[in-house]
Amino acid sequence: MPPHFAVNPVRRALLGASASAAAMASLGPWRSALAQQVRPLPAFAAWKDAGAMIVHSPNTIELRRGAMGDGVITPAKHLYVRNNIAPPSADILNDRDAWEVQIDGVRRPRAFKLADLKKMPTETVTMVLQCSGNGRGMFPSKPSGTPWQVGAAGCVMWTGVPVRELVHELGGMEVGAKFLTGTGGEVIPAGLDPKTRIERSVPVAAMEDALLAWELNGQPIPLAHGGPLRLIVPGFTGVNSIKYVKRVGFTHAESDSSIQQADYRMSAPDAKTMNPADPSVWQMPPKSWINSPLPEGGTLRAGAAVIKGVAFGGTNAVKQVEVSTDGGATWKVAALVGPDLGRFAWREFAATVDLTSGSHQLASRVTDVKGRTQPETRIENKAGYLNTSWRDHAVTVSVA
Amino acid sequence: ADPALMEGRQIFNSGAASAPACALCHTLKDAGSAGQIGPNLDELKPDTARIARVIRSGMGPMPAFTALTDDQVAALARYVSTVTQAKP
Repeated sequence: MPPHFAVNPVRRALLGASASAAAMASLGPWRSALAQQVRPLPAFAAWKDAGAMIVHSPNTIELRRGAMGDGVITPAKHLYVRNNIAPPSADILNDRDAWEVQIDGVRRPRAFKLADLKKMPTETVTMVLQCSGNGRGMFPSKPSGTPWQVGAAGCVMWTGVPVRELVHELGGMEVGAKFLTGTGGEVIPAGLDPKTRIERSVPVAAMEDALLAWELNGQPIPLAHGGPLRLIVPGFTGVNSIKYVKRVGFTHAESDSSIQQADYRMSAPDAKTMNPADPSVWQMPPKSWINSPLPEGGTLRAGAAVIKGVAFGGTNAVKQVEVSTDGGATWKVAALVGPDLGRFAWREFAATVDLTSGSHQLASRVTDVKGRTQPETRIENKAGYLNTSWRDHAVTVSVA
Repeated sequence: ADPALMEGRQIFNSGAASAPACALCHTLKDAGSAGQIGPNLDELKPDTARIARVIRSGMGPMPAFTALTDDQVAALARYVSTVTQAKP
């Protein structure tokens, strides 16, 4: 490898310098807000790697694109946080094994303590956990909500008991159940509409892959990520994997909660309100992005360069990743590197390209095994969900 | 305090019609509230139009509060945007 393949030292230096001017310059729309105020990590996520994270608010924290790293697994300290309401007290972690989850909508409904679940057969799934609004910050329409770039996503391992095993144990689900509905254990103050509760329904077929998990990357799940117990729905956006899960039900109708009915819908950009009849944000479509090189790495030297990034098919395995150095005019197939950890995980990709002097728009696009290719354009929608546009995720670098 | 803001402050802290107090969920220094469920409004600094829209339509777990009158929504929006020094 020629010496200039080494990661640009400027970029390296930036990873630990959250407030540097160059880092600010790379933040696009956030620049003005962040220049005024770099927020501290909230107490429940104080153990995160502060220099690698962008704190939008105490309940919305993402990983910097330049800090995604080169390993396939995202360490917990780099995993984004998105809580729809404040997390419960950390006291719920004092006796994890005593946490109870109620299983309803089965022939023999009952509650399990986490200690009971741990005695059952376990599985580990590696999957992309991604916020529904990841990439919202790239919508020119500036939808309301956190302006995430790429960092509201990570690839992590969850360990727990398969939901289908529980259902089998309890005599099967009720006839006619259409949805798997999870309810979170956040405390809702008295006097509030119960629709404020954190509850999501997904099509019942998702049960086949779902887990009730108590470990994240081999460690007890931290409060910030839903410990002591989280419902994991692989292939679906993060909101569907209910934290602090206290009830799992097999239901005939979708939850009447606000976050099921009146949010997380692919409503038209000009809709006044979200229509519960619009499609719910559930499965993730195929998506990829480049993590290196990035513009904040400074000017590159002409010659060979390695383009690296991550790609996933949502619910399907990755078939192929292509990269472009000319804004999508021509494409070249990248190598899939690192281990293949299953169809819900992301693949790392790398492609060696020759960069001439000038400005280059670097782009990537993934195709899954079902033939779905990442599109050039985003699907415009009111809340800025599911941005998979390869054009939006392209980066422009200067080469001297 | 500006008397024009008192109605909004009162609804914020005590609720109105079938709407609960905003203070149950939101922190707002001027109102003396420390709710932790929803965003901290001193940090969010939502403008008047956004506040009115979210009260009427809901956002995320926050339900739409349809029982409030237009005047009550306007009073709340004016109050919160003013005391958080959001741009109008």
